[in-house]
Amino acid sequence: MHSPMEQFEIKRLLHLNFGGFDASFTNSSLWMVITVVLATGVFVMGMRQRALVPGRLQSVAELGYEFIAGMVRDNVGDQGKKYFPFIFTLFIFILFCNVLGMVPYSFTPTSHIVVTFAMALVVFIGVTVIGFARHGLHFFSFFVPKGVPAVLVPLLVLIEVISYFIRPVSLSVRLFANMLAGHTMLKVFGGFVVAMGLIGGWAPLAFIVALTGLELLIAFLQAYVFAILTCLYLNDAIHLHH
Amino acid sequence: MRTPVYSALAGGLVSLAVSGAAAAKPAGMPQLDFHSFAPQLVWLAIAFVALYLVMTKLAVPAISDTLAKRQAKIQSDLDAAEKANEDTRALVAAYEKRLADAREESRGLQRQQGEADSAVATARLAELGEKLNGRIAEAEKRIAGQRDTVMAGLEQMAGEIAQNVYAKLAGQPADGAALGAKVASAVKGTSR
Repeated sequence: MHSPMEQFEIKRLLHLNFGGFDASFTNSSLWMVITVVLATGVFVMGMRQRALVPGRLQSVAELGYEFIAGMVRDNVGDQGKKYFPFIFTLFIFILFCNVLGMVPYSFTPTSHIVVTFAMALVVFIGVTVIGFARHGLHFFSFFVPKGVPAVLVPLLVLIEVISYFIRPVSLSVRLFANMLAGHTMLKVFGGFVVAMGLIGGWAPLAFIVALTGLELLIAFLQAYVFAILTCLYLNDAIHLHH
Repeated sequence: MRTPVYSALAGGLVSLAVSGAAAAKPAGMPQLDFHSFAPQLVWLAIAFVALYLVMTKLAVPAISDTLAKRQAKIQSDLDAAEKANEDTRALVAAYEKRLADAREESRGLQRQQGEADSAVATARLAELGEKLNGRIAEAEKRIAGQRDTVMAGLEQMAGEIAQNVYAKLAGQPADGAALGAKVASAVKGTSR
């Protein structure tokens, strides 16, 4: 029996070492590349005809575009248009990584905290830079809640600052933990199926089927949550209100 | 975050292993294996930037172009339909106006024609009446003439009869003139 954690192991498929810096092509890299290739297939090949009446693949591409465009419009407003390509890429990348991770024997790059934290950190730093670029030092007013007694202000500012710096952690842990927990559960119950054999294995098997459906939902939902939280952080930086 | 990998260790361990199975298994979660961070981050950056470039250079312009084109097409079609609708409405209005005009015109013509017809009829009737009156007068004149002739003949015949009867009864010829006057007055009296 393999450990439920074994599925998360990084395996180096191609060793690349640049002066002591390890840039090996791993199973994680492979599925990131597959993600990029498939996303390109849907969104570039699907749009190749640019038909006025879309076909199946083009409908999917347009649906994804309009989904995120609507999200950015509703949550950030017109100033968010500039950042739409980044949020769109972020959503599609996470969505494809998550969903492809549901394919048996595949690997889920988003089940590693270092990957999700890197993405969250890029969002966090980018949003903070946008906030300072737009408002200068006035951006600090974001941490001072309006309409509270002067006595409470220092405490509330402290809380606001902490919650601001917690953002990249919560954003990355949410995605990573969901992926980790889902895949671990599937593996554990898969082990039960084998252990309980032909007689008792049906119950955990049925559970796995249901869980697979739930995991597909979560794969989508976590990509959605990551994208919408990015929109909300961006909105805070641009409009300076909660 | 990009923890430098101990190249000697990594190179030595993984140069043989292709599947990676030979790599020493770290205890606990693979997510906490710091040696795997650098390759993951490098390839995350490569994959994400590649996808970002594909999206910004190819996919997003293609989709937004298509959506804009579709929106423009729908709008122009709607405008065309609206225009066609307005044209139709204008045509119907023009048609109805012409129909009303024609109806009005025909009513006027009918009235005019009726007036003209009645004038002609009256004139004809008058003409006919005159003609008939003329004829009647003529006929009356002719009848009067004939009556006179007949009456004259009757007087003469009655005179002759009276002379003959007087001659037979009296046995002598009668005074023609006196008898003639008597007969004439008698005839006139009966003819009244």
